[in-house]
Amino acid sequence: MNYLPEIKHMVLPGGLTLLAIEYERVPWVSMSFMTKRGAECDPPDKAGTADWTAEYLTLGTVRRSQLQLAQDIESLGASLRAQAEWDATMVHLDGLAEDFSGHLATLAEVVQTPTFPPEEFHLLKERRRAELAQVQDDPREVAFRRFHRLFFQGTPYGHAVRGELECLDRLDFEDLRRFYQQEFSPRAATLAIVGRIPFPQVVEEVQRLWSGWEGGGPVSPPYTGPPEKTCPPGIYLLDRPELAQSEIRMGFLGLPRSHPDFFPLRLVNYILGGGGFSSRLMTRIRSELGLTYGIRSQFYFRRAPGPFLVSTFTPAANTARVIQEITAVIRKVKEEGVTAQELEEAQSYYTGHFPLGLETPRALCRRVLTIDLYELGLDYLRYYCERIRQVTLDDARQAAQRHLQPENLVTLVVGPAARCRESLAKLGPVELLEEI
Amino acid sequence: MITSGQFTALSWQPEIEIVTFRLDNGLTLLVLPDHFFPVVSLQLHYRVGSRYEQPGITGISHLFEHLMFRGTEELGPEEFSRLLQAKGGEINAFTTKDHTSYFENLPSAHLELAVRLEADRLKNLKLDEENFQTERQVVISERKLRSVDSPFGLLEEQLYALAYLQHPYKWPVIGWDQDLRRMTLEDCRQYYRTHYHPGNLVVVVAGDTDPEKARDLLEKYFGDITPTGPPPEPQVTEPPQRGERRAVYKKVSQVEAFFAGFHVVGLGHPDIYPLTLLAAILSTGKSSRFYQDFVRPGKAAELEADLSSPPWTAQDPDLLVIRAVASPGSDLAALEAEVWTRVEELKRDGVKPAELSRAKKLMKSQTVQVLAKNFHRGLLAGLFHLKTGDGRLANLMLRNYEAVTLEDIQRVARIYLREDNRTVVILKPVSPEESQALGPLA
Repeated sequence: MNYLPEIKHMVLPGGLTLLAIEYERVPWVSMSFMTKRGAECDPPDKAGTADWTAEYLTLGTVRRSQLQLAQDIESLGASLRAQAEWDATMVHLDGLAEDFSGHLATLAEVVQTPTFPPEEFHLLKERRRAELAQVQDDPREVAFRRFHRLFFQGTPYGHAVRGELECLDRLDFEDLRRFYQQEFSPRAATLAIVGRIPFPQVVEEVQRLWSGWEGGGPVSPPYTGPPEKTCPPGIYLLDRPELAQSEIRMGFLGLPRSHPDFFPLRLVNYILGGGGFSSRLMTRIRSELGLTYGIRSQFYFRRAPGPFLVSTFTPAANTARVIQEITAVIRKVKEEGVTAQELEEAQSYYTGHFPLGLETPRALCRRVLTIDLYELGLDYLRYYCERIRQVTLDDARQAAQRHLQPENLVTLVVGPAARCRESLAKLGPVELLEEI
Repeated sequence: MITSGQFTALSWQPEIEIVTFRLDNGLTLLVLPDHFFPVVSLQLHYRVGSRYEQPGITGISHLFEHLMFRGTEELGPEEFSRLLQAKGGEINAFTTKDHTSYFENLPSAHLELAVRLEADRLKNLKLDEENFQTERQVVISERKLRSVDSPFGLLEEQLYALAYLQHPYKWPVIGWDQDLRRMTLEDCRQYYRTHYHPGNLVVVVAGDTDPEKARDLLEKYFGDITPTGPPPEPQVTEPPQRGERRAVYKKVSQVEAFFAGFHVVGLGHPDIYPLTLLAAILSTGKSSRFYQDFVRPGKAAELEADLSSPPWTAQDPDLLVIRAVASPGSDLAALEAEVWTRVEELKRDGVKPAELSRAKKLMKSQTVQVLAKNFHRGLLAGLFHLKTGDGRLANLMLRNYEAVTLEDIQRVARIYLREDNRTVVILKPVSPEESQALGPLA
């Protein structure tokens, strides 16, 4: 596997970790700054703090205004994006390799010397208000957000990363400065650089621009869960009379990324609902019954246990039927495990697909960040395929038995109650949710 | 082919090596060898999309794309995907106005399997009533997802239906709901015979393969398929619009919005380059005009000028669409008036050299990113070939952007962004009760 990139690693005097890959294929560079604290650290009732802080960084520095920054970056054909995720907050800068030095200096300027211009705060808030209003019109987004709120019940993963409408006016300027001062520290941060730049040049310029950065801190203790409470299993319905289809989300509490069953469970999920047309959920609900255009399942592995989630949609009259079918498919995998052929095909999918995920600098940069964030080891890409191949049929069966919980499903339906409530009631009590 | 040795920062131009073959039965093969990764992208672009449909069977191209996965004499439904996915492949397909494209991105060791299975489904597709009925239901669900329940899907449909009077771009690629319900298996069989044959097919193999080896594989599996003659080319040119068209569309929504379309050009026309740069000057990035004038200060929640850039530009003249979403509580009519004022200023004063140079650099960046992935390299050459007859235009794209002048930008703004050439559809929010009283959505 001579195409496997070498990840170079060093720690700067201030504690910042540098991870770099020399990438030859096209004259491009992707770089990301990551602090290992994200939306899980948003104060209660102040959803969006981490994500707003990230955007705020790009709205002015000691040297440049928002407009100057945008003009300077985009005149080089580059892009600057800043956003929070669960477990981390990131600032990404992507551009042509010929402009590397300027890009790196800009990234350092944005992360190290933001000024949080007060006049930008109001504009930021109003843009978010407009975005959150629009979200209400997107049933898929409504379902995804509402499931998190419902399931995690106010615990750290129980809100939307980009914020919630009712928190908008509670968040103030100082919350964002505070988040920056506490969570942006070199001791909890990593800089990843993948591009057509020789490593000695990367090291030299990074040392010059980043060694003196002291940052803030001490950062919040990492959230590793499990959540103090989650929603009781059952059926929850958010009535949207104008919709033609029901959006369905069904889930239970999953596992942290550090769990030793990660590899077997990844394979089990491919077979259950992660593998597109190779999955049992797609085969049953779409190919055999024609009840949906798409269905998938996923374990959201985070630092703390994220959800396991099945997502689909169906013309409203089919809602109850689809829920029954999904439950039956999950139950069967839990009780009977998977077949040898299914496991073999899932394994060869992941090992065969592996090089396709290394083609672009941005994809590589993403992998490096994940490896670092979840402490998977710098040799992760070297042993990844082997770990996939090592999973036995028995490992897969045991993982399915231990971690699939068809009896604990929290089911959320966002759809027209008039056309699905009655049939849902035959499956069990239905709790009607209020609009927020 | 790109190699690191050829790279010098300032003069860099993409040179994709494209080797073209034509089999005796009319099949065109483009091979783009690149041995950086042990992967390959196999793409089959059939010259069939909504452009080739007739009223009454709108959406049949896309429905047929679904049927191509429903099995052959040898394979059961979806087994095609399962077998290739099990080799690590990314398998999918998409239908546009002009073409239906099937692709497999997979380890190069399995290229032959993918070629064999693609030939199998071209020759031996199982078209039966059961498969047809199942996929029809799936597509009806897909239409609800993409159009009916999506925030702006129906608005976009209304815009095209109003902007075009005669050309098939009038209807959506997914088709009208009633046509989907009315269509028969026999319609699909007829469509298959007419459009699915080697003379109507451009195959691309991009990645870790040698041109002769790829040609031999195609010859081996596709060489014995006889073409059924060229399908009829639609002979419709949309007549020039002679005055603004306007409509209101009411649905449940949290926001007010308007979509405005201007007839522009197809991929083969040289104006596509200045038009693409103009759209970038207007709304790509946070230093763009629309972002600075409208989005940043909160006058619009969203405002973008959207034109599919080459090679995604439609074959025949498409619309440049301005999509505006008002901020909560703001006045949509005032927003629209201000947008047109700004457009008129641009037509009068032109754009600044820095704006044009920024837009060109953005295009260069996009192209470099495209070239990192075999899949995207293959699409670049394949779609240029399919829509213009010349895949090598992929290699001229950056030069064509470079050649655009300030005068070109002003010229295309004046020619195309005219009120008489404009169609506007306004989204007016109503309550669920009012919505119900207006009847079914689509």
